[in-house]
Amino acid sequence: MSKRNSVVLIVVSVLLVAFLVSCGKSSQPQEINLMTWGGDFVPREIINEFEAETGIKVNYKEMQSNEDMQSVLEANPGQYDLAVVTDYMVDILRQNGILEKFDKSKMPNFKNINPVYQNNYYDETNEYSIPYAVSTSFLLVNPGAIEELGAKPITGYKDMWQEELKDNIVVIDWSVEIIGLVLKSLGYEYNETDPKKVQEAKEKLFELKDHIMRFETNTPEDSLISGEAVVGFMYSNQAVKGQAEDERLQPVFPEEGMPIYIDSFVMSKDAPNKDGSYQLLNFLMDPEISARISELTKFTNANKEAEKYLSDEFKNNIMLNIPDEIIENTSFYIDVADVLEEYEHIYSEFKMQ
Amino acid sequence: MKTLRRNMLAIPIIVWIGLLVGTPLIFVFVLSFLSRDNLGNIVVAFTLDNYKRIFDPIYIRVFFNSFLLATLTGLVTLLIGYPVAYITSGLNPKRRAVSIALIMLPFWLSSLLRTYGWIILLGNTGIINNILVGLNIIEKPLNMMYKFGTTLVGTAYMLIPFMIIAIFNSVDKLDRSYLEASYDLGAGRLKTFFNITIPLTLPGIFGGFTLVFIPALGLFFISDLLGGGKTIFLGNLINTQVTKGRNRPLGAAFSILMIVLVLVVLFIYSRAAKREEGGLFQ
Repeated sequence: MSKRNSVVLIVVSVLLVAFLVSCGKSSQPQEINLMTWGGDFVPREIINEFEAETGIKVNYKEMQSNEDMQSVLEANPGQYDLAVVTDYMVDILRQNGILEKFDKSKMPNFKNINPVYQNNYYDETNEYSIPYAVSTSFLLVNPGAIEELGAKPITGYKDMWQEELKDNIVVIDWSVEIIGLVLKSLGYEYNETDPKKVQEAKEKLFELKDHIMRFETNTPEDSLISGEAVVGFMYSNQAVKGQAEDERLQPVFPEEGMPIYIDSFVMSKDAPNKDGSYQLLNFLMDPEISARISELTKFTNANKEAEKYLSDEFKNNIMLNIPDEIIENTSFYIDVADVLEEYEHIYSEFKMQ
Repeated sequence: MKTLRRNMLAIPIIVWIGLLVGTPLIFVFVLSFLSRDNLGNIVVAFTLDNYKRIFDPIYIRVFFNSFLLATLTGLVTLLIGYPVAYITSGLNPKRRAVSIALIMLPFWLSSLLRTYGWIILLGNTGIINNILVGLNIIEKPLNMMYKFGTTLVGTAYMLIPFMIIAIFNSVDKLDRSYLEASYDLGAGRLKTFFNITIPLTLPGIFGGFTLVFIPALGLFFISDLLGGGKTIFLGNLINTQVTKGRNRPLGAAFSILMIVLVLVVLFIYSRAAKREEGGLFQ
């Protein structure tokens, strides 16, 4: 009896170890492990074409946040080849020394990338990142409903404080965005650290509390479509979706300026399949392929040459093809942990008001 | 020797639990005493700062907010769950099986999906409002979403099966001859219920309350979805700190605080259960 038990025990242990080992094993030579956002961010149909063309299998892992991707990349640098992360995360990953410097000679299509989106603070000489999708956040409004409420038309953040808009605004739920919006409305910059200005922003923020009917990061546009809100502060792809579903909704690019985000490809220093990854990156930067990706994902394209392949519908959509003078008035959220903590605290106080 | 052999079978489970529950817990505990640099990386340097910070007045209010939500959830589920459990235990075996199955059925669906169901039901253009407006009972849609009450409805709905099952077990074990004795001695139904049934099913009530209270502290996604993110609870705080806030040590300190709170509740429960002789975990 006891002998049989120990045999069972040993067999189970061996199987368990074998299982865990097989889980930990990284990719085969002709595989690429890619991680990024969900929602078909790198569209499956494009990846299928790449797989059919090259015979390289692409494993796509959907992640919830930049920080999750960071954890995975740092804990196990040899597991994933590529990731698409947002600007500030490129900066963090690069400083932590886990990114591979790109060999641009291996991806001739890199020349197609629009210089406007290159050489930003997080990667001054564009050695570690390839701009993939550009997005912004701005206001989506329902002008008719705003008029009915007796409020003036919205031209910038400052108009959100109108008494008539009480309980009628939906916003992204993130301290940095919301405090950034308040700072801008006061004529300051994002990521302000001057205690006096931050205090001023705090007081102004608290006045906004009654105006917000809902904090929602994933589908704020739904509140405008259903009519429960008349003004929304959201990401550009959400605004595009909102307007596509409800023609009454109009974008307002706040006159104070707006934030911009550049999601970029990065490669792990210990990527198991670097050659395959370069092939994939080059494929994705092909102008025609890139144009199709934009049509599918509804993000502004960072590929200059792709423009001629974009549909008129895409090109004429002001939210996807934002005029240069408005793009000039955008800025990044530069993520500094110290500011973050202060902002997070103010934001908690704001919500517990 | 014999007991040793018998206990050998428990080794895999002990190793399993030790590895998958114990290690992360130790990890969180150690993490709560560390700092982090400007990039959000963990720095191995002992500090009590995180604990100092969580006793900030704002965070204390968040803490009480969570406590309030969890307590109210416990009370609401008790008020609704008790009659359901009581009636269910009185049914004939066949119906009782159906009833239990129906109570457990929602667990087969994703909890996120069920939460979205409430939005479809209670939203401004939701089913209830559409019907009421359609029948001309109200002119403008009722504003039922994004309130503390909506969050309470969500958590209570999510956790009520735990309450019902805990009380059901207790009511089911109830010796009906006590009730008959009570009636024979002239007590009415109401008096019997309050003097006999309730005291005898107290272990189930305590057990159910504990089972509901603890998870209610952590269901942050319900307040995000149904409460419109308008107030924050401990779960939200921890979630933001370990993700976008990139302050995992502070998040860990909040988690330890939450674990302490849970332990206090479990302690009170075990004292109560001991007094009542019998309980969920015995």
